[in-house]
Amino acid sequence: MPLFLIATACVLAVQAPVQSLTPRDSAFHALNRLAYGARPGEADSVAHVGVMKWIERQLDADHISDSHLAERERQFKILDYDRADLAGRYRDATRERQRLQREAAASGDSTRMRGARPMQEFRELGGQLQQLAIVRAAVSERQLREVMVDFWTNHFNVFVGKGADRFLLPSYIEETIRPRALGRFEDLLIATAESPAMLFYLDNAQSVAPGSTPPAQRRSAFLLRRRFGMNEMPEERRQRRPTGINENYARELLELHTLGVDGGYTQQDVIEVARIFTGWSIEPPERGSGFVFRDWAHDHGTKHVFGLTFQDDGKDEGIRLLKSLANQHATMHHVSAKLCARFVADEPPDGCVDAAVAAWQASRGDMRAVLRAIFTSPDFWTSQAVGSKVKTPFEFVVSALRATAIEPDDTPRLAQLVARLGEPLYQQPAPTGYAETEAHWVNSGALLARMNAAMMLAKECSSVPAIDDHAQLVDAIDQKLLGGTMSAHTKSVILEQLADITDPEQARAMAVGLALGGPDFQKQ
Amino acid sequence: MTISRRIFVKSGGLALVSLGLDPLFLARAAFAAPRPVGPSARPVLVCLFQRGAVDGLNMIVPHGEPAYYQDRPRIAIPAADVVDLDGHFGLHPSLAPLKELWDNKSLAAIHAIGSPDATRSHFDAQDYMETGTPGQKSTGDGWVNRFCQHDREHADTPFRAVAFGPQLPRILAGTAPSLAIDDLQAFGLRVPQEGARDRLTRAFEELYDGAGTGLLASSSREGFEAVQMLKRADPTQYRPAAGADYPPGWLGKTLLQIAQLIKADVGLEIAFADCSGWDTHVNQGSSEGQLAARLRELGLALAAFNRDLGERTRNVVLLTMSEFGRTIRENGNSGTDHGHATAMLALGGPVNGGRVLGRWPGLAVEERFEGRDVAVTTDFRDLFGEILARHLGATDLGAVFPGYTPSPDRFLGAIRD
Repeated sequence: MPLFLIATACVLAVQAPVQSLTPRDSAFHALNRLAYGARPGEADSVAHVGVMKWIERQLDADHISDSHLAERERQFKILDYDRADLAGRYRDATRERQRLQREAAASGDSTRMRGARPMQEFRELGGQLQQLAIVRAAVSERQLREVMVDFWTNHFNVFVGKGADRFLLPSYIEETIRPRALGRFEDLLIATAESPAMLFYLDNAQSVAPGSTPPAQRRSAFLLRRRFGMNEMPEERRQRRPTGINENYARELLELHTLGVDGGYTQQDVIEVARIFTGWSIEPPERGSGFVFRDWAHDHGTKHVFGLTFQDDGKDEGIRLLKSLANQHATMHHVSAKLCARFVADEPPDGCVDAAVAAWQASRGDMRAVLRAIFTSPDFWTSQAVGSKVKTPFEFVVSALRATAIEPDDTPRLAQLVARLGEPLYQQPAPTGYAETEAHWVNSGALLARMNAAMMLAKECSSVPAIDDHAQLVDAIDQKLLGGTMSAHTKSVILEQLADITDPEQARAMAVGLALGGPDFQKQ
Repeated sequence: MTISRRIFVKSGGLALVSLGLDPLFLARAAFAAPRPVGPSARPVLVCLFQRGAVDGLNMIVPHGEPAYYQDRPRIAIPAADVVDLDGHFGLHPSLAPLKELWDNKSLAAIHAIGSPDATRSHFDAQDYMETGTPGQKSTGDGWVNRFCQHDREHADTPFRAVAFGPQLPRILAGTAPSLAIDDLQAFGLRVPQEGARDRLTRAFEELYDGAGTGLLASSSREGFEAVQMLKRADPTQYRPAAGADYPPGWLGKTLLQIAQLIKADVGLEIAFADCSGWDTHVNQGSSEGQLAARLRELGLALAAFNRDLGERTRNVVLLTMSEFGRTIRENGNSGTDHGHATAMLALGGPVNGGRVLGRWPGLAVEERFEGRDVAVTTDFRDLFGEILARHLGATDLGAVFPGYTPSPDRFLGAIRD
């Protein structure tokens, strides 16, 4: 492995694919795409190290020290929570809510629910998660890893608002996604398949072979039947017990996580895949809500899918299927194209996608190799690519924090800002996650919201000094916020606006606000 | 293009527009004989997308079909609970507030409607319903936008086509201007003092004037035009009429704001809103439960919208749509999986209501699509096309639905003659 790294680093040094760009512009571009934008002066320091060397360091994230982030993370209680504790508290809160609802229904007094908010803790948990994501993206030195955490969290989307996912999401992000963000795709795919958050979100936890019954329930169902007769079984009980397969995870696994919607699978394939995953479920809250394979719920029959045969092999059937899916050509192409849409251009050229697929094949899905192939592809460095993408709502807010040297606080306001711009974190209900193309977040309402956000953040900007001379002030903003890429038009409009402002603080707030909310800063 | 929207807005056309009479409209009124004239007469279409695939069978219940009860032992709506419509179909009890509209013939249901494409992917099916080109993934724009591109009769104002929500949906994507509004009350730059607000708005407008072409440039331009128009309409003063009581939540708030825009006469022709939560794979419920709660909110919101609009409903059609229906047979989790045909609702004065429209294929096993789902007997484009042609006066449906020409022969008669 070290040999491989050294070899690659040499190739990179020789290749230097940055012909038309100055070293500083190349650094600024890399910081826009592999990181959440440049902090003041960072384009110069990256250019000084050498952009390709900086990229190699980012790919080797474990060796980057990140003490400031570690300090900030200590303030987040959420990182000390244990899933089993949360599970117990969630169960108690659910019961409490049901009790209140029953009481309210019995008394006919709907106002009784007001004031008592048993789920409040879990709503706040979601908020803390969003704040933590913003802090990490803004202050971490391991920027590429944070970008990839965001990419995978979105690719393997789980909606925080769906029932138990309110408390399963923290461990999903910490234990499933983050450790594997720069690892092998196959490992990440298996981890998400086994994660309680995904099993709950896409209903696989409830998918059982038709006709199967849990050992414990066999007894109680028998007793109930003796006592009440089958039809008198309590309604709630009959409704709750799963009695067949659920196709939801199987379909999204093929369509979204792996092969892609054009991946050439059929409805029958979806059913076979769903059968393979029967029994992949979640422990009850009193046992910690972890992953469990329930043999009794598994469909022991033979399944045929994608030329493979699965014969009564328990949980291993699913693992074998996932390993096969992870390295099918359609998967490599689908995921590589999505990565290129994130890093290169909304409509990525074939060249970089092909390079990523080739690296995937050669490394069996090592994401560092795949990313390296994208960053060394000439397509990444063309003038069509540089500055061509519009920042997503999350990218816009975080890059503004970095450019203005605002330390993100632990209030919900920044997460609310991201939400107002159209893409609240972890709150996309559809399994697609958010799209990677600008048409999904650029619209007139959202742009006005960006301008409002810009004016608000400008007041707290600490990276630009208050300077009396307006021309100098605008130059300083150009350097600190835009790496010297501010257009002449933007400069002249800002100067015009400053003309009758004499107070330097006021001039700074106005100028920084216009720069952050104007067209140049929307692009990356 | 005879006059740029930009010049039009800047040159004082605003006063006319705020009365609902823009100069182009006046110029054309003489030639467009059947077109209604006057502010309150402009036809409006409101589209409500039930994302997640609503279970049409539990929304408009075929309570006259034994197979419905056989296949849904746990989630069927008991016949005693159904709000009967015609002896065969009935409303889910949560939709009871809409019965009044059925009785006065301004509510119709369309059953067994959907896409000719067999996909059971939410993503694809929603995409097809919004682009209007089932099976064609390369279509870049939405059918509502194409209608706006090709039907120039109704001159553009920034509010001609409005989506409520932070994102512009696919159905409105395209070259014709369209607007996404998250909250009407907060639309625009937030500066308390009016003079300072106007000044800042102008500054940003100038900045984006230099943004050249592309989505960033056009979106910002449309945003600033809308801000100026809305300033005249003053949405902060709005109170629903006739004691209309919108339910709390996103849907109620959005329909209230749509009613507000309609009454403000800012040139609204098509409004679009999402309402989600229909993907009921698990514990869907029956007369009560998960789906019942969503339908209750829908029923209350639609009834309030209708009451609020009052006399204005005579030119307004509200249409619900959803990407596909759900399996006839309940699944192992007392829910339903992705199916094929579903049901839609159309309400408003121009609607030929009091009827369940479309050919009902029945639930007999041999009639089912792929042996499991309700078959599609009405291509959604036939319904959308009819509403565009007979309500909004579209003349070129071929351009709106490329590769398909909705033919009057296949129109269901959803709009009154």
